[in-house]
Formats: sequence, structure tokens, C-alpha cells
Amino acid sequence: MNVAVEPKQDTVVDQPANVSSDQTVEFLNVSKFYGDVLGVNRVSLTIPPGITSLVGPNGSGKTTLMNLVTGLIRPSCGNVRVLGLTPDDPERFFREIGYCAQFDSFPKGVTGRQFVEYALKLHGYPPADVRQGAHDALRRVNLLEAADRKVAGYSKGMRQRIRLAQSIAHRPSVIVLDEPLNGLDPMARAETMALFQQFGEEGLHVIISSHILHEVDQISDRVILLSYGYVVAEGKIRGVREEVKEHPMQILVRCDRPALLAARAFQLETVVEAKLVEADGHRGHGVLIRTRDADAFYLSLNRIVLEDNIRLESVAPADDDVLAVYQYLIGSEGGGE
Amino acid sequence: MAVYKRNYKPYEGRLTADWSRFLVPARYALETLFESRLLIGFMVASLIFPLFAAAIIYLHHNLGALEAMRISPSNLLPIDGDFFAAFLSVQGAYAFLLTAYAGPGLISPDLSNNALPLYLCRPISRTEYVLSKMAVLFIPLSCITWVPGLLLFSFQAGVQGGGWGWDHAHWAWAIFAGSWIWIGMLSLMAVALSAWVKWKLAASALLFGVFFISSAAGAMVNEVLSTRAGNILSLGYVIGMIWANMLQLPAKSTIFGELFNVRRGDEVPQYMAWTMIALVFGSCILLLNRRLRAKEVVS
Repeated sequence: MNVAVEPKQDTVVDQPANVSSDQTVEFLNVSKFYGDVLGVNRVSLTIPPGITSLVGPNGSGKTTLMNLVTGLIRPSCGNVRVLGLTPDDPERFFREIGYCAQFDSFPKGVTGRQFVEYALKLHGYPPADVRQGAHDALRRVNLLEAADRKVAGYSKGMRQRIRLAQSIAHRPSVIVLDEPLNGLDPMARAETMALFQQFGEEGLHVIISSHILHEVDQISDRVILLSYGYVVAEGKIRGVREEVKEHPMQILVRCDRPALLAARAFQLETVVEAKLVEADGHRGHGVLIRTRDADAFYLSLNRIVLEDNIRLESVAPADDDVLAVYQYLIGSEGGGE
Repeated sequence: MAVYKRNYKPYEGRLTADWSRFLVPARYALETLFESRLLIGFMVASLIFPLFAAAIIYLHHNLGALEAMRISPSNLLPIDGDFFAAFLSVQGAYAFLLTAYAGPGLISPDLSNNALPLYLCRPISRTEYVLSKMAVLFIPLSCITWVPGLLLFSFQAGVQGGGWGWDHAHWAWAIFAGSWIWIGMLSLMAVALSAWVKWKLAASALLFGVFFISSAAGAMVNEVLSTRAGNILSLGYVIGMIWANMLQLPAKSTIFGELFNVRRGDEVPQYMAWTMIALVFGSCILLLNRRLRAKEVVS
């Protein structure tokens, strides 16, 4: 159940680059209430092309946000514009939207091809284009061979892919995917994620809701963190992480003399902790640095390395992923799977 | 942020007329419906009375055949308003049974499968969705009501000649409009019940219940209050009143009166019958509006 509670902190925003409003999905001070129940409150967002993930615990407002984008519900106040369009112009609006629900909702006895063709006919495609459109969509999701089998006989992964096919068949610009990785085996997940990345590379808006944070992390360009109906953070994951100042950044450094590096690093003002850690199975092979200012630390690291002739193997941020941001901002353990 | 070059092409071909989209779900549902042998058998059975009525019209105009069958013309059912009222009554009953069989399965599967968002995230509104489901019933119900009714009327007008068709055009209108009122009411009730009751059998039973319980309630009101106004609660009676008015029949001592149990002095004012029909339509629309949401809100 959604409860109207103020977020723990102000929204962390990493603004997208300037993109005109007819190329973005815009939420302008949007609130949605279901009677007394809060869906989302005072949401202002601009979602540019690419892969954007909606992340948050159950009841945080992810589905409400997706339903607002797809025009399935209207905001109680504020405006939602998708590529400059609203559901008041349904013919053009819905042509731009592709929605992949998380539920199985296949008519009885229908084949995969018929299911996709059905969707295209609802969009008003004439018969010849229906066949071609369905063929193209089925090819994209790699289901051509099974297209004429009944959906009832499909595996869970195939069902997920046929849902995806029906959502992209009419060539929308904005694809909204509700838990698209649920129930997929690792191979199917990898294939599906690659497909999302392809969509993103083609300039489509791909809006994904998912609980599988490490996979969200791999494919997302941007993340929108939601909690209790409020957007608590949005933007590039790294940018969001940098804005969370109260949690020092963690940087893992692998080198040949970790003890010396740890000692030198600890003398720096911005470093709050330097800890020897196991890396690549060798105890003491790495140093985990916690710093309030990552950029300042990187500069100092250059100096230390040169002065003490330390041989670096790798330097990598250890907590600028979605999971860490989720834990810092929302507080509970993320990563449903 | 990654910089993406927009390199895909949206669909730019022509589209079908937007008003025709609602026929897409209807066509698929009709295909499924007509896979049922029971329904086909029922449709065939429902044509028995129209064939019988056509035979009567034929015999009226073929004295030779009557003589051969040793039937006196005076023993034949006359071709008048009562004749078409009887047709409407019998075919209306068939229409009710067909609706009770086919109607309840129209919306409930979509609701239990959470399929509504898949319809409503396309250029199809809730109204068009409901229309598409009602259209599934419109076709078979038309096939057993006004279509054979108008064929019978045309047959009679053709064989009678002498401007009979023009003189009795109001019967043709009554067959057409009266059938559509009945079809509209049955379809709307069926989809409304289908949206509220998940089990097909239970929804069918409820449709029967609405008609029989409303009749029983009407009879109770009549007994308790010593009035005839309770008849207005009986939907069968109400549609009968409307058909009688359209056919310009007195609702007494006719076949129609017998079929609908309308006795002299029992008639309720026409405006009340129309009000009742409007109430049924309104209630069904209200039920559908409450139930058919793109998303169910769990609180």
C-alpha cells in the first residue's frame, strides 16, 4: 500500500542534457491519487532517449509512473507529455507507445504470430503491413521459428519475448516494460538485455521497471529511484551516487604495495577510511578507500603513486552502482533476485 | 549520458479508419464463439419459427396448397400485428437464451488475465472496447431477430402486393427498432455481468436471475400493494409493452397479450416502460464504468 510520507531527503537530480520536449517524456509536477491512496506526488521529470530504469520498493509508485506514461491513467494534477503528445490525441499518442505488461494475457488458443498481428490490427495496420510488421517484430525477439505455435505451449522466456514483440511491432518510440526480466533464465536475460540496449542505441526511449538491480545497473543509462510515491533520485547512476554526499564514495585500488598506499591515503583530508581487502583471492592485494571527494582523491593518488613508485593494477569505484544508491537513498536491501 | 542517434524509422504506411478498430476484437471473439457446435445448433434451431412463419405466409397466398392440405384459410394465423408480435416474442426468447450462453464469457477472461491494459494502451477507448464486446452479440442476435423478421415482412409485402408494404411500414420499423432495443439491452447486461462475475456459469445464472427475479419482485409488489404498477419491474413485461406500442397493438386479448401475460387494465404507461429501459441501460453503463479500468488499484 502506498502511504503519503515525505521522502527521507530532497530529490537528487542529475539533469539530462538539453533535449527538446518533443523528444522526451516529460512529467510536469504530476501527482496521482487513487482516492486517499497516493500513487505518485509532485513528480517533475524529463526522460531523454535511452534506457531509463524505474527502481523502488513495492508500492513506491513505479507502476503508477509507467501507467501515466502509457496513458492508461491520467494524472490527478500536472501534465504528462510523451514526445510532446498527450492521450487527448490518442491516434498519435498511442502510436508512439509500446507497452509490455508483466502479466500473461493471451487470448485462448492464439499463436504467437496471431497475438502480434492482433496488436497491429488494433493499431490500424492494413493486412499486408500486419503480416510484415509481425514478421519483423518476431524476428527481432528471435521467435520466428516458434511463431506459429500456440502461446499456451511457450516457455516463460518465450512468453516474455512474445509480449515484447507485440509491444514493439507497431514501431513505437517509447517502450515501457514492466518487470521484463522476471522469470527469464540467464541466457534469455542476456539476450533480452542486449535487445534493450539495441533499442536504446537506435534512439528509442526504453523505460524499464525492475527489481533486479545488478542487471538494471548493467543496461541503464539513467535511473529513477522512487520511494513512497516520491522521486528520491534521478539521473545517471554515477552522477546520482556523487550527489549522495553523506555516504563517502568507495574506491577499490589494486596495487603491489597496498599497505603503503593505505597509510599514505589515510593522511589525506578527504579520505575517511582505508582498508586492506582481499582482491583476486589474495589477501591484502587491494585497498578499499572511502572518500568524501573522489576527484580530489584521484588527483592525490597520482601524486602518491609517483612519489612512492607504487605499481597500480586497477582503480575502480566500488559503490557507484544502482544497488548502492538504492541502499543509501531508500535504505532497504535491493535486488530482488 | 550516452548520446544516441535516432536511426529507426517509425511506421509511415496508411492506417485503417479509426472508427473500425473496435471491430478487430469483435472479429476475433466471433471466430472463437462460432467454434462452438452448440451455438451453431442453437442458431439453426432459432430459425425454425421464422421458417414456420414463412410457411404460413406462403399458405395464405397459395389456395391450391391449402386445399391440398385440407386447411381452411380461416384456420390460418392471420398476417397482422399479432403475427409479427408473436415472431418478436419467440425470437426474443431465443435471443435471450443465446445471450445467456455467449455473453458472460466476453469480458471476464480479459479481466482475469489482466488484458485490459493491452487493449487500452492502443488507440481504442473503453467505450470502443465495450462496443467491440457487444458487437460480438449484435451479429448472432441480429441473425435471429430483425434480419429474419424483415425478410418475413418483405416476403409478405412481395406476395401480397398492392402497396401492403408501405401501408404497414410501421411493422417493419417495429421489428427493426424493437429488436435493436432488445439486442442492446441484452448485450449491455451481458457485458456488464461478464465484467462483474468471473465464472461464466454464474454470470449466465445471474442473467436468468435478473429476468425472473425482476418478474417475481413485480408480482410481489402487485400483490402487496394491490396495484399493477409492479409489472414495471418485470423486464420481459416492459419490453413487451414497448413492442406492443411500436406495433400499435392493444395489449389485451391478443397473442402478444397471452405471451406476455398482459391482461386488460394491466398496462403501465409507456413512459414508465421507457424509463425502466433507460434505468437498465444506465445501471449497466455505471457498472461497466466502475469495473473496466486500465489498472486495478490495490490499497
